[in-house]
Amino acid sequence: MAATPDLRRRRAFWQILLLAAGLLVLTVISAGSVYLVNKARDDNAAVIHTIEVENQVHALLLEIRRAESSASGFLLTRGPELWTDHQTAVAAILPHLERLAELTKDNPAQTENVRKLRPAVEARLDQFAREMNFIQQRDFASATALVREAAAGNTTGAIRDAADAMLREEQRLFTLRSANADSSQTLAASLTGIGSGLVVVLALVSIWLVRRSAQLRDEAEARLRDANVDLETTVDERTADLREANDEIQRFAYIVSHDLRSPLVNIMGFTSELEELRNDIFGRIASLTQVPAGGPPIAPGDGGETLEAQDKQLSQDFSEALGFIKSSIAKMDRLISAILNLTREGRRAFEPVRIDMRELMEAIAATVAHQAAEANAEIRIGELPDITSDRLALEQIFSNLIDNAVKYLRNDEAGKITVRGRTKLGYAIYEVADNGRGIDAKDHQRIFDLFRRAGTQDKPGQGIGLAHVRALVRRLGGTMSVSSELNQGSTFTITLPINWNASKRTRDR
Amino acid sequence: MTQPVTIIMIEDDEGHARLIERNIRRSGVNNEIVPFANGTDAVKYLFGADGSGLVQKGHALLILLDLNLPDMSGIDILRRIKENKYLKASPVVVLTTTDDSQEIKRCYELGCNVYITKPVNYENFANAIRQLGLFFSVIQVPAAAT
Repeated sequence: MAATPDLRRRRAFWQILLLAAGLLVLTVISAGSVYLVNKARDDNAAVIHTIEVENQVHALLLEIRRAESSASGFLLTRGPELWTDHQTAVAAILPHLERLAELTKDNPAQTENVRKLRPAVEARLDQFAREMNFIQQRDFASATALVREAAAGNTTGAIRDAADAMLREEQRLFTLRSANADSSQTLAASLTGIGSGLVVVLALVSIWLVRRSAQLRDEAEARLRDANVDLETTVDERTADLREANDEIQRFAYIVSHDLRSPLVNIMGFTSELEELRNDIFGRIASLTQVPAGGPPIAPGDGGETLEAQDKQLSQDFSEALGFIKSSIAKMDRLISAILNLTREGRRAFEPVRIDMRELMEAIAATVAHQAAEANAEIRIGELPDITSDRLALEQIFSNLIDNAVKYLRNDEAGKITVRGRTKLGYAIYEVADNGRGIDAKDHQRIFDLFRRAGTQDKPGQGIGLAHVRALVRRLGGTMSVSSELNQGSTFTITLPINWNASKRTRDR
Repeated sequence: MTQPVTIIMIEDDEGHARLIERNIRRSGVNNEIVPFANGTDAVKYLFGADGSGLVQKGHALLILLDLNLPDMSGIDILRRIKENKYLKASPVVVLTTTDDSQEIKRCYELGCNVYITKPVNYENFANAIRQLGLFFSVIQVPAAAT
C-alpha cells in the first residue's frame, strides 16, 4: 500500500477536519456554558425575588397582627409598653406595604393584588387611628367596641384574602422559577458532559490517525531502508563485476602484449640472421664474379665495392627490404611496450597524499624549460588548489599535457602556456591552455584513443600520452575534456576530486 | 680435475632456442648444448627419475631458463634448482621477454645469477649472449666436491 499523494492528501484533510471539529465543539461548549450559567443565575435571582416578596407579605401581615394584638392587650391591661408597641407596629405597616408594592411592580397580577390590599390596609389603619382617638379620650368602652367590631369586620378578611392571593401567586412563581433554574442547571451539566465526551472522542480519533500515519511512516522507512540495502548490494555487485571485467581486460592486454613479443623476438632475430646471410651471399657472389674460377675465394664481408652493377642493385633492394622489416618491428615493439606500460600502470596501486600543486607544476615546468626556451615559449602557472591524490599519477598527467603544449606550438607566434585552477563542489578543476596549433573539432575524441594522433605529423610520438592521461584521470575519480579550435590553441580541463581516497577500484588489487 | 660445462637450455620457443644457440656458437662457445622445449622433460633430466638431482652430481652445468613455459612456470624450476644441494651451485641465466621489475626482483631473490630480458633489439641480445658465452668459456665451474 504505497502512500500515494492522493491518500496523503486525504489523510491530511481528515486531520484538519478533526481539528476544526474539535475547536468548534469547544467553542460551542464554552458559549453554551456561559449562556446557561447566566440563565441559571437569573433563574436563581428570580427565585430569591419570590421568596423576598413572600417574606414581605408575611412581614406586613405580622405587623398588622402585632398592632391588633397590642391594641387588644392594652385595652385589657392598660400596660404602657403595649401602647408603645402598638404605635411602633402601626408606624411599620405603611413602609412594609410600600416595599411590597415596589417589589411586585413588575408583575401585573401582584400589582392588582397590592391595589386590592392597599384600601383594606388603609381602612384598617383608619380603624387603628380611631381606636387611638378613643383611647386618648379615655373612652375605653368605645375603643373596645371598635376593636371587637374591627376584628369581626370585613377589613381583616379583605387583608387576609389579598395576602393569601399574593402568597398563592408567589408560590406558583416559586415552583415555576425553581423548575426553570433546575432545568438550566441540568442543561448546563449535560452540555458540558456531551461536549467533553465529544472532545474525548475526537481526541481518540486523532490519536488513532496519528498512530496510523506514524505506523505508515515506519513502514515506509523500513521499505526505504530495504531499498537502500538492495541498492547498495546491487551497486556492490555491479562494481565487483566491473572490477572483474576491468581486471580481465588488464590481464588480457598484458598477456597479449607479452605473448606478441615472443614471435617478435624471432622475427627480429632471424631478420638479423638474414642480414648476416646477405653479407655472406653477396660476399660469395662477389668472389665468384670477380675471381676466376678455381681462384681462392675472397673472405666474405661487405662486398658492395666489388659487386657488379646488377648485383649491387640486388644487394640494395635486399637491404631496403630488411630495413623496412626492421623499422616496422621496432615500431611494433614500441607499441607493445606502450601497451605493457599502460597495463602495468593500470595495476599500480595509488597512494593518496596531500600535494602542493604549485610546487608539482613548477617542477614539471622546470623539466621542460629547455624545450620551452627552444620553442620560444613561456609557461605561466596561476593559482592552483591543492588536492589529496596520487603524486606519480598527477605528475604523469600534467607533464604529458604540458609536454604536448610545448610540442605543438605554432612556429609563427611566441608560445604562451597557462596553467590555472579553481575549486567547485569538492572538485578541483585544472586547465592547461596554450596558444598553439589547436585541434580540429572532429579529432577531439580521437586524440584520447590509443595510438591515434591528429594534425600535421611532424613531431615524434606514439599517440599514447593522452590515452594514458585519460586512463589515469579516470582512475583518480576525475574527468577530462578538451576545448580547441584549429590554429586557436587548446585548453585541456582536468576535474579531480579534492579528497581522493583509495577507492574500491584500487584497494583490493 | 675439470670437465666441460654442459649448457642446459630450457626454452619452449624453437626460434628463440635456435637464435640463442647460434649466438652462443658465434661467440665461440663450443660447449655441448642440451635443449628442452618444455619444463617436464627438463625437470626429469635435471633431477632424475627420483627427483633428487643425484644424477647430476659432479656435472658442471649452466642453465638457460625461460620463465614462460607451456607446462610450468620457470620460477618453480628456478626455485627447485636453488633448493637442490647438487644443483644449487650451477649458474642459472633467466631469459625472458618480461621486463617487469617485480619479476626480476623475485628471480634474483630465488638465486638466479643473471637475468636477461629478451629485447627485440637483436644486436644487444646477441651481444649479451656472446658475453655470457665468453664468461662461460673462461670460467670453469668447479666440480662439486665428493
